[in-house]
Amino acid sequence: MKPAIEARGLTQRFGRQLVLLDIDLQVAAGERVALLGDNGAGKTTLLRLLATVARPAAGELRLLGLDAVRQRSALRSRLGWLAHEPGLYPALSARENLEFFCTLHGLPRGRAVECLEQLGLTDDALRPAAELSRGRRQRLALARTLLHDPELWLLDEPDSSLDAAGRDLLGRLVSGRTLVFATHDRGLADELDARVVELRAGRVLDRGALQVVR
Amino acid sequence: MTFAACALAVARKDLLTEWRSREVLPALAQFVLLALVVTLFAFDLDAASAARIAPGVLWLVVLFAGLVAFGRAFAAEKEQASLEALLLTPAGPVAIFAGKALAAAAVLLACEAVLVPGIGVFLGVGLPPLAVAAVLLSTVGMAALGCLFSALAVQTRARELLLPVLALPIWIPFVVYGAAALTGRAPQALANLLALDILVVVVAGLAARFVLDD
Repeated sequence: MKPAIEARGLTQRFGRQLVLLDIDLQVAAGERVALLGDNGAGKTTLLRLLATVARPAAGELRLLGLDAVRQRSALRSRLGWLAHEPGLYPALSARENLEFFCTLHGLPRGRAVECLEQLGLTDDALRPAAELSRGRRQRLALARTLLHDPELWLLDEPDSSLDAAGRDLLGRLVSGRTLVFATHDRGLADELDARVVELRAGRVLDRGALQVVR
Repeated sequence: MTFAACALAVARKDLLTEWRSREVLPALAQFVLLALVVTLFAFDLDAASAARIAPGVLWLVVLFAGLVAFGRAFAAEKEQASLEALLLTPAGPVAIFAGKALAAAAVLLACEAVLVPGIGVFLGVGLPPLAVAAVLLSTVGMAALGCLFSALAVQTRARELLLPVLALPIWIPFVVYGAAALTGRAPQALANLLALDILVVVVAGLAARFVLDD
């Protein structure tokens, strides 16, 4: 079986500043990987490369067997990306937010209701996203990620603002899925039974393999 | 999911958001009325001079209202951090761009619906139907270019400054042909505007993919 993620020598720079250097990462299908590291370690940058919303300056990246740069159009609808900000439309209700994305994914609108229910947001369905608490907005963003049942989940601090019930829900949601997520919380990595990949100053220390890759 | 359905979904979402938040339209309507009041008091107008300056007032107000309407098209997505989620849907960047241009053009049209009769009321100058056709045709081309530059400008720090610098010079042909349509050479000017619209819609559509997604 092909790995879900194969990254070799991934490098990213912003102007002259090198933010990721020569990252090698392999994630098997069904595996969960937690990216840990201090602020500025490169977690979000690496996730953005994996989500194909940024292009690497150098290196090779294959996701779900496809080239992440040349075949990204074909790849994107198979990815579930949750950025650090929920990225919702505040004037639209929770249901309208999801229904809009259902339309773009070519899914029936009923899928929005299913996902709201799954995330415990049925009572908030008609409330504008702007009126939801930060934790409820995070749940709504997770619901949007779930809509099209992606094969590879890429989540940037998914537990951000979630209460204990929300974290439990997150655990159930990602169970059995291929997932890479960034977090500061090693406890979350344990809860989600994830292999830890630690980043430091744009380089990987792969604690999961108990081996310093670089 | 077809291109048209995705573009319409994006346009509907933008217009619904504008309807509920009333962020741009009331400000633009107020700007139009203030511009007409200032014109009324700033010039010593009689019937002949009012008829002479009316086309200039019309195009100046359309240009500056366009900067506001198109500037918000992508700024809101940037502020809400929702553009990446949009780009990861199968809709594709060109459909997203088309939907946003459609919605921004509708906002400018609503503003023009205040402006054209306003010129009649404040300046006592009735605009001929061909002038209205010229305004409509200009709005299409200006929307395509304005939204393209808006998508470009939103990725920079000085977006409020960059949009007028990029858009105003490129919009000049619309003003030239639009003004010509009001001064007795209407059929030729309208044909030129139509040709210009086709050209810029095609070019903006081709460029949108690279501007939004790279």
